[in-house]
Amino acid sequence: MAWIGLVLAGLVAIYSATHGPSADVTAFEPEDNFIKQLLWLGISVFGVLVALMLPVRFFQLAAFPVYIITTALLVVALLIGREVNGSKSWIYFGQTGIQVSELAKVGTVMAVAQLVGMRRPKTMDLKFAFMLVALILVPAALIVLQNDTGTALVFFGLIPIALFWSGIELNLLLVMVGPAFAGYLAVVFAPAAYLFAIVFTGFILWRTRDKRITIVTGLLTGGITALAKIAMTKVLSGYQLARVLSFTDPGAEEFRQNVGFHQVNSMAAIGSGGFAGKGFMEGTQTQGGFVMEQSTDFIFSVIGEEFGFIGSVVVLGLFALLLVRLLTLGSNIKHPFGVMMAGGVTGVYLIHIFINVGMATSLLPVVGIPLPFISYGGSALLANSALFAIVLSLHLKRDDFSIYGY
Amino acid sequence: MDEGRSRVRIFSAIVVIIIGTLTLRVGKMQLVDRQSHTGQSENNSMRERRVQAPRGRFFDRNGVLLVENVPAYTLYVTPNYFDDASIPLLAELLSVSDSTVAHQIQLARKHSLYKRSIVQSNITLAELGRVLEQRHVLGGIDYDITQKRTYTTPANMTHALGYVREITSSRLAERADDLYKRGDPIGQSGLELEYERYVRGQVGADYKMVNIKGQVVDDYLRGSMNKAPINGLDLTLTIDADLQAFAESLFVNKRGGVVAIDPNTGEVLAMHSAPDYDLDLFAARLDPTKWSELVNSPEEPLFNRVTQSVLAPGSTFKPMIALLALSEGTIDENYTYYCNGGHPIGRGSFFKCLAKHGSLNVVEALKESCNSFFFEMMRLHDVNTLHDFAARFGIGEAPYLDIAKSEIRSGLLPDSAFFNKAYGERKWTQGYIMNLGVGQGALEVSPLQLVRYVAAFASDGLMVTPHLVRNMVDIQTGKITTPEIEPPRRVKVNQTYLDLVKKGMRRVITDESPWLEIPGITSIGKTGSAQTPRSGTSDALFIMAAPAENPKIAIAVIVENAGFGSGSAGPIGSFMAERYLTGRINPIRDIYMKSMMSKNSATITNN
Repeated sequence: MAWIGLVLAGLVAIYSATHGPSADVTAFEPEDNFIKQLLWLGISVFGVLVALMLPVRFFQLAAFPVYIITTALLVVALLIGREVNGSKSWIYFGQTGIQVSELAKVGTVMAVAQLVGMRRPKTMDLKFAFMLVALILVPAALIVLQNDTGTALVFFGLIPIALFWSGIELNLLLVMVGPAFAGYLAVVFAPAAYLFAIVFTGFILWRTRDKRITIVTGLLTGGITALAKIAMTKVLSGYQLARVLSFTDPGAEEFRQNVGFHQVNSMAAIGSGGFAGKGFMEGTQTQGGFVMEQSTDFIFSVIGEEFGFIGSVVVLGLFALLLVRLLTLGSNIKHPFGVMMAGGVTGVYLIHIFINVGMATSLLPVVGIPLPFISYGGSALLANSALFAIVLSLHLKRDDFSIYGY
Repeated sequence: MDEGRSRVRIFSAIVVIIIGTLTLRVGKMQLVDRQSHTGQSENNSMRERRVQAPRGRFFDRNGVLLVENVPAYTLYVTPNYFDDASIPLLAELLSVSDSTVAHQIQLARKHSLYKRSIVQSNITLAELGRVLEQRHVLGGIDYDITQKRTYTTPANMTHALGYVREITSSRLAERADDLYKRGDPIGQSGLELEYERYVRGQVGADYKMVNIKGQVVDDYLRGSMNKAPINGLDLTLTIDADLQAFAESLFVNKRGGVVAIDPNTGEVLAMHSAPDYDLDLFAARLDPTKWSELVNSPEEPLFNRVTQSVLAPGSTFKPMIALLALSEGTIDENYTYYCNGGHPIGRGSFFKCLAKHGSLNVVEALKESCNSFFFEMMRLHDVNTLHDFAARFGIGEAPYLDIAKSEIRSGLLPDSAFFNKAYGERKWTQGYIMNLGVGQGALEVSPLQLVRYVAAFASDGLMVTPHLVRNMVDIQTGKITTPEIEPPRRVKVNQTYLDLVKKGMRRVITDESPWLEIPGITSIGKTGSAQTPRSGTSDALFIMAAPAENPKIAIAVIVENAGFGSGSAGPIGSFMAERYLTGRINPIRDIYMKSMMSKNSATITNN
């Protein structure tokens, strides 16, 4: 199974990141991370097995309670949580920390699926859409308050995916996604953003033949582009700006020693891996401690450097296989709850993968977010495994869905 | 569910597109831009460590090890990881001043932030140990094991061997194409300089992986890129270590020089210039005050008196004049000259002789070293005739020796053109020329030139090329190469006339200075004392060869400001020849040894 392959790949990479010579210099890569990850894996496997035995109705019934509990935990973390790496999203039970924002993903995806499942088929009204968005925005906002922008991004990214998957009109979705892309272009290369805004608006006009929507689209894409420009020149402070801008050229003189440092070294690590890589525990960048956070957010540079293009393709290929398989499984369930569950899970994974690998390869700015199953992090592994297990369980018992659910 | 199906397809497509984009991005980095990323990564995490090849060892002519290498330690800093706050600590550990360390760090910073530079070379193992104990607070500090020279015999051979020092910036600029880098050792004088390209070997490289703090973690890529150094060639010298050490012991409290060669081959058996200096000064970290003492000492220890000191040869030149007169047919065996205690041309003290010798033939004149006779000889000859004749024996030209050309001087053998230029045409008199007959005036000869000349006389005209290296051995392949040296050439001389001159030189020993006679061995020689360019007592000179019938050693000695040649210079030559030929000094000569030891150079007075 792709899942097993990915978890194993993660363990290998974590082992290399924490047990190599780098362990001497990088205080934040403690060697027992590997053992801890093994423990979490054990817990996760147990969780998966339990999930497979639970009946379908349990998930449906549990969806909202889980959502409420995990969201409540977010509030608790905000109040009494401990700050780790600048974000207050951890609750500690003795020595063991739980990153509640990871758990909130499970609750949110389940709640969204349940909401979609309760809805009468083929109805898509604005009220429903707002409910759905609100369901996602509540935990997202809490996570933003916790100062964990990376995880919050996953929630924001989940919005268009959930809308799309639950049957929103494609055009409407495009109108929502277009401005986001324009904003990205505005940071990378402003003229391209303006050009995109114009072309995209034209494209929407051609598709919808609807002046109102076109005008909204034009205002949104153009507005976001302009807003991004203004934010970059007026609103953002120097450091924040540098952090956003640095990914476009992390090696530039003004960035390479500060905000661009992570990405310069991550790219050097991945790039120098070449076709076949430098070999297990042989990565000079990673073992030399040049890549920070290499067992968590920058785990992909360990894979890229030590296992080369082959290793990278295997990991990315496994992800593609897993995601497409999840989608197919989901569509086989033939019940909105299951379909939405699969879509949501896939969406969460996809956003993680895109942001994480995109950041390691300097396609995107540095956003602290783990690579599912591979990065070190118990809560994340548990949460991601739980999501996976739920979809798997729903698929296995797809005939148990009440026909009246429709 | 058609709508649903198409959404699955669209979503799957998005998944594939996003992951495909990431794959392309990774592919571009790892396959297309790999080189630049590899460079970046190497810049980061790879440190090249030069592994100095062991310099070739030096052996004497009998295989005695003279010079070898011992480990030394060089401390480096990578400035980016070094905290200036630890300068005082580092200075204390190295027992140098804070400003010295601060200066080195500043230099290093100027050189490169990320590449390491030398903080201190040649530190002791104890110092290294102290530094390594504090390594956790001394970021960016690491070390290399290098090699330094060590000298294994009592013989110093200072001027022959020369010294090795860290390459200077100016020299580095000249020799950058020869793969020299800052901190590399390079021969700076003597054989170390002349044979640099042979004894240096090939520098190897170790590629080390460093971590983000600049500390070495491991071999880079398991050492697969490492290059082992290649040893330099071992040199077999022509020097006899025992004779050399003996010669050096004879020069205690004397300034001067001695060179002994094999008259058949030109191999230099011993070469010593006094005072010398301790080459270990250079093997260790050179103390600047000691260096300036060496440079500024009035006794000029850096000066090689064998090859660079060109002085009037005095009476040691008389055999040359005698052979000239005989060869030109001006005189013969029966010719006599009457010495009245001076030469009649001279109206004054200038052309005085040492005594009233009466009537003398050429053999007696050599034995007595009669000035009047040799003034007369040069009255009878043109200066150009002398010039052409003496030039055949290497006077006036820089002799070859396998040390740097800059360390060898050619001296002066005048001809008429020289006098015209120096004094103006016809402004110089015969007196100037006659003065050359006794080795004074406008003559400048080095001990190395003298020894070639006496060797040629002893071996019936064989002019040899003095050299210090017999061969070079590649210890990896066992291949032996011999440096290319001009083979001996024979100067045409009339054997009868030469035998007459040698007879006179024999009698110098037997009749005039019997204490110079080596028991059981016949030797020929000529003493001299010459006006010194320094103030005070004249310089003592001696040239000799032994055994007379089958010469195996020729020697030239100069002792500065020591008076008569027979007193100080003579015994040095004689004792050395005995030591070389018999391996010992006959105890019956102890009294002469003691006497010689008391005849020292007068102290240099500054006036």
